Amino acid sequence: MSTSQADRRVGEIILPLDRIAVVQPTTLLKTTLETMARFRLGIAAIVDDAGKLSGVFTDGDMRRMLLRDQKPFSALFADDIIRHATRNPTVVGPDASLAHAIALMEEKGIWDLPVVDDTGRLLGLLHLHPAIKAVLGL
Amino acid sequence: MIPKTITVGYDNKVRHVVIGGMEPLAFIGGPCAIENRDHAFRMAELIGAVCAKIDIPWIYKSCYDKDGRSSPDSFHGLGMEDGLAILTEVREAFGIPVVADFSDVAWAQATGEVCDLVQIPAYLCRQTTILRAAAQTGRPIHLKKGQFMSPWNMKNSVRKIEAAGNHQVLLADRGTFFGYNMLVNDFRNFPIMAETGYPVCFDATHSVQLPTSMGDISGGQREFIPYLVRAAAACGINALFMEVHDDPINALSDANTVLDIKYLERILAHAKAAHELRLELLEKWGEDDVHLPS
Repeated sequence: MSTSQADRRVGEIILPLDRIAVVQPTTLLKTTLETMARFRLGIAAIVDDAGKLSGVFTDGDMRRMLLRDQKPFSALFADDIIRHATRNPTVVGPDASLAHAIALMEEKGIWDLPVVDDTGRLLGLLHLHPAIKAVLGL
Repeated sequence: MIPKTITVGYDNKVRHVVIGGMEPLAFIGGPCAIENRDHAFRMAELIGAVCAKIDIPWIYKSCYDKDGRSSPDSFHGLGMEDGLAILTEVREAFGIPVVADFSDVAWAQATGEVCDLVQIPAYLCRQTTILRAAAQTGRPIHLKKGQFMSPWNMKNSVRKIEAAGNHQVLLADRGTFFGYNMLVNDFRNFPIMAETGYPVCFDATHSVQLPTSMGDISGGQREFIPYLVRAAAACGINALFMEVHDDPINALSDANTVLDIKYLERILAHAKAAHELRLELLEKWGEDDVHLPS
């Protein structure tokens, strides 16, 4: 890994808000899944009215939900997404280095990191693939 | 989630009733239809005496237009103008909040001007224009779950009301279709509908209805009312709804399901005791949080 590339800042390569699934805590699970499918990402960021990150919902959350919460699909689809979300997700700031962010993803076993500012407002998403491409200088 | 409460009563002419949370069980009751002024007053007097004796908060219910009757020959109601005039008189003479439903958006405003609580008929529970009109009255809304609706999908109706700026809803279960001409109560409906944060109500007399089972009218099995009321109060409700009449056989609406006034004291006493016991148990042992998904 090139040191200079790995020192690049997260903020340089994040996916902006219009390229990721962003929903509200009361968005229905069904609508959240549709939004995630539209952006072809396994994560939805959940933000409150002020744009602050309230949690994330991922493909992993969905797997765990299906095994744990055995109510009918029609009832699951009508749930508020926050009910099934990870409420205190791992996040990173825009000034963190890519090396730090990738190490964090490896440590947590995740592919995406929400990027937030000092107040917790969502700025975008660091996805593993663009992060690796940036490190490799591709 | 912090449970919401709703306050029924918009001026000082009536005793306000707070429904929800750890508040006492409220009773919503009266004759199904406003039959005439004298009968409306007589029922208010009879029911009021029972509620005072039991010490249970009460909202007087009676409707001016019965749009969901099974037959064109059935009594349809006094009409909005005459009906609301009688409700106004009852409201002010007895100092009790009143509720009536409406089934036409054009009637919403006038209904809200008189009634402390406006009711959405179960068959219309997902009609956007009706829900919006109810919301725009600014009054709390008694929203009955349609017999064809799942409890979790009632959230959509709640969201329609909220989108129109109203955040005071009482969600009621009045039974769910079990095949044709038959209703059953799924008591899971109460905790599921309570997930909206709003208080919930059990409509006992409509739950025992056998819809249009008698050809051109609905039948009913009111012998089950006490069992269902105790079960609902023990399960967890904030309000109990029952239609009451002093002469059920000759009632002009829902004659096969209205509760005879002679049983009202007993049923309300059971309901109140079951409700209070439930609150005591929750206080002592904590909330019902068994195996909640983490």
